[in-house]
Amino acid sequence: MSEVALTQNRSRAKFWSFARPILLRLLYGLVSLLFISLITFVADEIAPGDAATARAGDKASLAQVEKLREEMGLNRPWPIRYVEFLGNASRLEFGETTVGVPTPINKLLAESLPISMKIAVMAICLAAFFGILFGTIAAIRENKLADRGILSFSTLGVTIPNYVLLPILVYVFALQLDVLPTSYELPDRQVAPEIFYLIIPVVVLALRPMATLTRLMRASMVDTLKQEFVRLSVAKGTPPFRLYAVHCFRNALIPVLTAIGTSFGYLLTGSFVVETAYLVKGIGFLAIDAITKKDTPLILATTLVTGFLFIIVNLLVDLVLPMVDPRIRESQV
Amino acid sequence: MKRKSGLSPLFWIGVGYLVLLVIFAIVGPNMRHPFDVKVGGPFLYPSDQFWFGTDEQGRDIFARLAYGARTSLVIGLVVQSIAVTVGLIVGVASVYAPKWISIPIQRFTDGMFAFPDLLLAIMIVGVFQMGVGPVIIGLSFTAWPAMARLVKNQIATLKDREFVVAAQAMGAKTPYLVIKHILPHLWGVILAVMMVDVAATILAESTLSFLGIGVQPPEPSWGQMIAVGNLNKNSYPLMLLWPCLILSLTIFALNFVGDGLRALVDPKKNQAI
Repeated sequence: MSEVALTQNRSRAKFWSFARPILLRLLYGLVSLLFISLITFVADEIAPGDAATARAGDKASLAQVEKLREEMGLNRPWPIRYVEFLGNASRLEFGETTVGVPTPINKLLAESLPISMKIAVMAICLAAFFGILFGTIAAIRENKLADRGILSFSTLGVTIPNYVLLPILVYVFALQLDVLPTSYELPDRQVAPEIFYLIIPVVVLALRPMATLTRLMRASMVDTLKQEFVRLSVAKGTPPFRLYAVHCFRNALIPVLTAIGTSFGYLLTGSFVVETAYLVKGIGFLAIDAITKKDTPLILATTLVTGFLFIIVNLLVDLVLPMVDPRIRESQV
Repeated sequence: MKRKSGLSPLFWIGVGYLVLLVIFAIVGPNMRHPFDVKVGGPFLYPSDQFWFGTDEQGRDIFARLAYGARTSLVIGLVVQSIAVTVGLIVGVASVYAPKWISIPIQRFTDGMFAFPDLLLAIMIVGVFQMGVGPVIIGLSFTAWPAMARLVKNQIATLKDREFVVAAQAMGAKTPYLVIKHILPHLWGVILAVMMVDVAATILAESTLSFLGIGVQPPEPSWGQMIAVGNLNKNSYPLMLLWPCLILSLTIFALNFVGDGLRALVDPKKNQAI
């Protein structure tokens, strides 16, 4: 084989070893999306009542319900409807809600996704900034008072659930001190900057990822500080600030970057509680609302969209990391 | 470096709290007042008669908390027992079963991780009916993959150890090998992880109940009590405080106990992460 062909072969092998895990991840993600939608679909078949009975209302006669069922195409066997649903979903057509006034689901999604994204992005920025800051401080002051304080605080952050923290924050800051609003959707909402309404949900959502990022950053920084090159540069007389900020920080940051990505996925999908409790009309609110109303098309649509976002964000993290860290790039070849 | 031996005081505090909680869950619901009927005026403050006060319908909060403890503990233990059983079977199978079984099983387990847990549980519970049964099904469904992965990783480290290889060389069949030589090494780790996972299950259960799609009224649960307390927090904050307090303490206790056990059986993992 000629030299050129060899190099080509090698670069193709290199490409595949890089792309294969990512493609596999994407495939798992898609398969699990299919699986989840199938479970939901079948479960809905088993559960009593369907979209037709829901739309017809309590007073409708059996014949009316049957007629409606035929109009909505619900009397066909479920595998056929499932395949049809998948076809529509792949073209991002989710149909209309079946409970109350029929509304296009795409319109509901378009209204609710931006606000959920906004909260998630703000929360992840907050969590990343303070998580990295506290983690670095804790590592530099390992086993000293600051370290112990930060660690206990982060334990609290991991274990206290959102639905405990949120009411308490609302009670203290909205009801007692009266400095923040009690919910996002207030009937007599005064003209105030929107950020004012976002503080409580963003802080509550950010706390848990902040705590995990703090612990991770601390562990990673402690590991880095023990490495040979650190001792070398101390011996060469690097000033402490330059040592921490330039030499160690960048090395310690890599595992934290992965965690920021996975936390972001968690924030996108984990906003159910915060949105429901603070009346933020985001995608989590929409999903819970759909479940309590038994609005199947909306349940399916919200699940698929959040699941899809979760998978895409995790995939992006996998794609971006090798660009940041040459060591991962090497290990994948 | 000298390793600290023995268990920390936090571990024993956790154990003490859990013992009290179990007693509370067994005798509490009907000790002084029934948990599900009106026994006094609404929103009464704590007194001799009602130790924790009464809720918006005049029911005894003490008795309701105790009943909620019973619900949470039962759901936590049942779900984790299912998860451990399934996790053991899947974990062992993905190491020792023939390839045509083990590879699909491993792929399926990996696939389960690609989807957010809580979302899946919410889906299952929400689309079926709501209530204790569906909550157990939904949470078991999301709890087993982590256990399966743990079992698989533990077996992978044990499988090539000398005593296992020796037993194999002496002609031990795989089922005998797994039951007599491998599983006895796993119970400690599984118990420790199970404690922490029971805490996660209780949290998930209260999340579902808080969202109104878990345990349904009139049956009380902590998550539901927090949701109702949240609505009444302006006029009567105590109703929010009690369930939040008992839930958080329970989560802490289970984590302390789990961490303590983990440090005992697996000293290398005894690090702050």
